[in-house]
Amino acid sequence: MPLGTIDRSPPPFFKQGPSALSRLFVFSALAVFLMVADARLGVIDPLRSALATALYPLQWLALQPGRGLQALGRHFDSLDQAQAQAQAARKELAAQLLRAGQVEQLTQENQQLRQLLELRQRLGGPAQATEVIYQAADPYSYKVIIDKGMAAGVEVGSPVIDSAGVVGQVTRVHPLVSEVTLLIDRELTIPVLNTRTGLRSVAYGEPSEDGLELRFMAANTDLQEGDLLTTSGIDGIYPPGLPVARVTRIMRRAESAFARIYAQPIGQVSAARHLMVLKPLKSQLPPQPPAQEASPTGRKGGRP
Amino acid sequence: MIMPLGKQLLLPASPLFIWTSLIAALLLTMLGSEPWMPDLLALVLVFWTIHQPLRVGMLAAFCFGLVMDVHQAGLLGQHALSYTALSFLSIMIHRRVLWFGAPSQALQLLPLMVAAHVLELVVRLLSGGSMPPWTFWISPLLQALLWPLASIVLLMPQRRAPDPDLTRPL
Repeated sequence: MPLGTIDRSPPPFFKQGPSALSRLFVFSALAVFLMVADARLGVIDPLRSALATALYPLQWLALQPGRGLQALGRHFDSLDQAQAQAQAARKELAAQLLRAGQVEQLTQENQQLRQLLELRQRLGGPAQATEVIYQAADPYSYKVIIDKGMAAGVEVGSPVIDSAGVVGQVTRVHPLVSEVTLLIDRELTIPVLNTRTGLRSVAYGEPSEDGLELRFMAANTDLQEGDLLTTSGIDGIYPPGLPVARVTRIMRRAESAFARIYAQPIGQVSAARHLMVLKPLKSQLPPQPPAQEASPTGRKGGRP
Repeated sequence: MIMPLGKQLLLPASPLFIWTSLIAALLLTMLGSEPWMPDLLALVLVFWTIHQPLRVGMLAAFCFGLVMDVHQAGLLGQHALSYTALSFLSIMIHRRVLWFGAPSQALQLLPLMVAAHVLELVVRLLSGGSMPPWTFWISPLLQALLWPLASIVLLMPQRRAPDPDLTRPL
């Protein structure tokens, strides 16, 4: 029998596609490409948005049991607890009424003064209330996902606050949800102003310490524990005057020209449920003249 | 396939059950937010890769990895890479591991789970992340410990007698 007539390919039972090793190489290469494209080139966002949108129903489903349990728990809250809460709320309201009265008067006074000085009206942008869907279960980063996205007009870079202060910044926007990077994430920086001295600096996220670190501050800087840091408003993103953090620890050491300064965020960074998304200041500001360079004092907050 | 002596002959696995269990594992994994929580999706993926290597392979592992990356808002591809590697290692041992009893199987799977975690850690450190808390290392241990339970639960539909009136092992 001539050799050519023998079917030398294996029967289909043994055909299992490409070998495991070659498949490993193909998929690993694809994964590495995706990582590089995501981190350096930024061309993967449409894919990510599409996946996030497809995943939204599943996420919604996964959250329902927890929501149900919470609702049940609230239902069985005791009367005492409810009364105590109401009492506390009334006290807080009374305290805030006093302040609100002052604020109104001050706002009016401020407005008059500004008109006198022919200053531009201070920017108070529109805000959107959102709810945190879940915290990203990534042990390396601190992000939460909120329930408003492109469809609701959320923009990348928008500051996010809660009732107490700044909690972070929107770093990615999908059609239905958005990612908020919290202040304590290592990748987030925020320009701050010490309200006691007027000193400007930049706070970096430092999750392993108190939450924020002021880097490259000279050892003789006038800073005290307990100083309030607010947004400085020179970055074109955060409106000025929002509380950010309180200085908790200052370590001055002889061998270093810099002090190590740690601060704790004032906003409920890890516990907030309801957040407000503000419009970034830059979208409200008139365009800068082209010759003028952006100010070097830390404009960046997360990814642009 | 040659079967170990004294093992029950299993019914064919239903594709519907395989994919339902994978989706359910994905949902359960989505719920976890602490670093020590076991990655059930990885466990179920390894389980089906070992038991049904022709149905669930690296492509499925890669796609589920991408979904996890999007859910965790991390670097796109890190879970895909670690799940692909996990799937490859499972395919490498799938002919051998089923001859052992459940505790020995779990012991053999522990290095796989640890390797996948180490791969993820290396990727994170290379991309500028910080070290996770030590509880991170509990997760692969729990995954290996859950293996015997997963083998019982996920094989249940295949253990039924062909005629349901004869015996009801469930």
